[in-house]
Amino acid sequence: MKYSRFLTQVSRNRQPSLIREMTNLLAQASPELVFMAGGLPNAQMFPFQAGSITLKDGRALTIHPKLMMDCLQYGPTPGYPPLVKQLKDLTQQLHSPPRWAEMDLIVTAGSQDGLCKALEMMISPGDYVVTQEPCYTGTLSILKPYKPRYLPISGDQNGMCPEALKAALSKWKPEEVQDTEKDVPKVLYVNPNACNPTGVSLPEDRRQEIYKIASEYNLIILEDDPYYFVQFGDRKDFPPSFLSMDVDCRVIRFDSFSKILSSGLRIGYVTGPKPLVERIVLHAQVSLLHAPAMSQVLVSELLKLWGDEGFFKHTDAVQAFYLDQRNAMLEAAEKHLSDLCEWAVPTGGMFLWLKVPKIHDTWDMILERALTKNVILVPGKAFMCDSSKPCQYMRAAFSIVSPENMDKGCKNLAELIS
Amino acid sequence: MLIACIVIFKYMNSKTLLCIKGANIGMMDYSKFISKLSSRRKPSCISELRRALDNCSPSLVWLASGMPNPEKFPFREMTVTLEGGKKLTLSKETLSAGLQYGPSHGYLPFRNQLKRMVEQWHAPPRWAESDLIVTVGNQDGISKALDMLLDPEDFIVVPDPCYSDFLCMLSSLAPQIVAVSVDDQGMRPDILQSALEKAISSGSTGIPKALYLVPNSCNPTGTNMGEERRQEIYAIAQQYDLIILEDDPYCFLQFNDKYLPSFLSMDVDGRVLRFDSFSKVVSSGLRIGFVTGPPPLLQGITLHMQASCICPPMLSQVLIHELLTSWGDEGFKKHISDICQFYKEQRDAMIQALKTHLTGICEWIVPEGGIFVWLKVLHLSDTSAMLLERGAKGDIVLVPGREFMVDSTKPSPYMRAAYSCVTPEEMMKGMENLAKLIQKEIELQSTHT
Repeated sequence: MKYSRFLTQVSRNRQPSLIREMTNLLAQASPELVFMAGGLPNAQMFPFQAGSITLKDGRALTIHPKLMMDCLQYGPTPGYPPLVKQLKDLTQQLHSPPRWAEMDLIVTAGSQDGLCKALEMMISPGDYVVTQEPCYTGTLSILKPYKPRYLPISGDQNGMCPEALKAALSKWKPEEVQDTEKDVPKVLYVNPNACNPTGVSLPEDRRQEIYKIASEYNLIILEDDPYYFVQFGDRKDFPPSFLSMDVDCRVIRFDSFSKILSSGLRIGYVTGPKPLVERIVLHAQVSLLHAPAMSQVLVSELLKLWGDEGFFKHTDAVQAFYLDQRNAMLEAAEKHLSDLCEWAVPTGGMFLWLKVPKIHDTWDMILERALTKNVILVPGKAFMCDSSKPCQYMRAAFSIVSPENMDKGCKNLAELIS
Repeated sequence: MLIACIVIFKYMNSKTLLCIKGANIGMMDYSKFISKLSSRRKPSCISELRRALDNCSPSLVWLASGMPNPEKFPFREMTVTLEGGKKLTLSKETLSAGLQYGPSHGYLPFRNQLKRMVEQWHAPPRWAESDLIVTVGNQDGISKALDMLLDPEDFIVVPDPCYSDFLCMLSSLAPQIVAVSVDDQGMRPDILQSALEKAISSGSTGIPKALYLVPNSCNPTGTNMGEERRQEIYAIAQQYDLIILEDDPYCFLQFNDKYLPSFLSMDVDGRVLRFDSFSKVVSSGLRIGFVTGPPPLLQGITLHMQASCICPPMLSQVLIHELLTSWGDEGFKKHISDICQFYKEQRDAMIQALKTHLTGICEWIVPEGGIFVWLKVLHLSDTSAMLLERGAKGDIVLVPGREFMVDSTKPSPYMRAAYSCVTPEEMMKGMENLAKLIQKEIELQSTHT
């Protein structure tokens, strides 16, 4: 594939930092080499010497002095090498990307930072963006300054509708726009699993149809998948990722540890075609330099201690927890809201997407009156590409709230709507 | 070294404002500095909803934010051992804070701590109208500040030579660059003035927006900008209405008693964005820096952070906060004193190695802080090929001066050496190797001419 077509001028302008390149010389250098090119501070002067983390299962991660240096010193931009290897192995194991040899991976400060850099790499002001609608607010925040021309694609209880996608793109003939750079859609954004805010997932056949359409129109697919491990059901029944069917090498996939290990550590990772991941690496090189080193080391040591078995045992436990939360939420909703709202059963994640058919727009109801009824949720308008249009939906999160409070919340919500 | 630190903390009373115009009572118009793209950034709807929490009843059922449940995070307890053996155990609440999403502008106790320190060190004249945000390393703050300020046709003023990563940032944004030559104190005011005049009369639709400098132990030249020079530069920034980007990662690595007032400390107009870093004194890998300045400018950076990394790494912030709390002012001063002692000895060993092997071959200014020496080779016009193609074989690697020049096509006889991580023995060996490398290069050049 010709990737330069997808890049903004700013992204094309990016050059590697010579000093970082020179640091690579160290790898092949003789032990006699005196290296005075890097601007590294002396890590011996950093005040933390060692550390220890106790896990909830009682085991401990020891950060001995040498490991503490890895936590505290500058590291390579693509990521702490042991963690990069572990994540590449995990990705290969879970997705077996068909063109793995042409792909690369970078650890980012949360998956959203990767998404932000990917979008900044490809979107110029006024560009088209094809996206699921409703769409995650974080993505809309990234795109807002670019005033994109959205092609919002509606969905149902099985996610984005391929027919709607085809219809939105039908004003162009595939063979005429495949290589065109300006004034054509080039990017497609999708949350395939437990979509934020709708809570639903795309089944396999839809993914294949969507991939085929993206291929026809030569779109890059941004597969934003932070709820991958929080899908309900057996892992072996998980539908295949876009990455796993990526025969063209057009998918950039965003993974996150925020829902299963920690959100505050700020660790996510991006997998994609080498030329595109390289652009993201160059951007990171002159901005945050790399994802926080201690966070990367902790995740790496944890994965090492657990092994595959321990890791999947943990993700199964997280999934089971959110499933219980979902069930409690549905019970509360059925008890109080069955006459007032409609919803699809979430297939993963932490959100319930409620429709209020009798109300034209939930925005004012929530922002002006919800506090008086002691319940807050997010009005659906926040997730729409065109925020001037009314929206009958609202998003309730069931991640942290107790079953008692879910009951109270739904009761209060029923009063609010009435 | 303790004396230097005491001087730092006593500085706040010194306010000699020789050339700077009287205090601007009103607020600057910041909207003219914001790029078109940045002006379209908006806070997320969910953060607006959070403001509802300010006056809510305890029976409010909060179903709005998509925070993951921290009960499922596998970490239970964390202890770190500090130099000297003291142990810091994070409380349950603190570790919790370290593992969950936090505010985009930084962990509140940490921000408050940093604000107290900034007020103490700089006593900014417009402190009541200033704010402070935490960033993912100070360089991310600078990168986002440039994204916020520069439309493609705008001008940015930089010293020449300049920190290479900053030039890298500019090479992608491609604004118009006003390069200002330096002397042993940094940017020359006369050249700055004439370069700005030229930019303004160029007929461009863009405006000179900002001026970037590293006032202490500048990367790569290692020079410090004197107080009077700083005031002259500030006055010129006033005259041309520029934002000053004060990048100061080496402020704690100063070896002598002469502490120099920051641009923030003389900022009567509210035109300084100051970028501080913990990378040289506490940790580079934790990725924590902070930016101080006028809220309308910090807002643009914060909104971009909100959209990208959501918040600075929480565990890193929590750890540094606990460390600074455990140290108190005295402990911090002692740590800075120890660091300065170490790097001063490194510098002295470096100068010794230079004198031993490179007298008559190179020239250099003795740095009064930081980690770099800027060397000029006397009989070569350019060092790039020598270092990049033959340096590794000669067992010595330095950065060629061209890497730091605004016009990297022109030859440069300079090189930057870092003395932070090499031992005195390695420095001696390295400079001996360098001398041989240069001699070989001179012979190579003369056989070609």
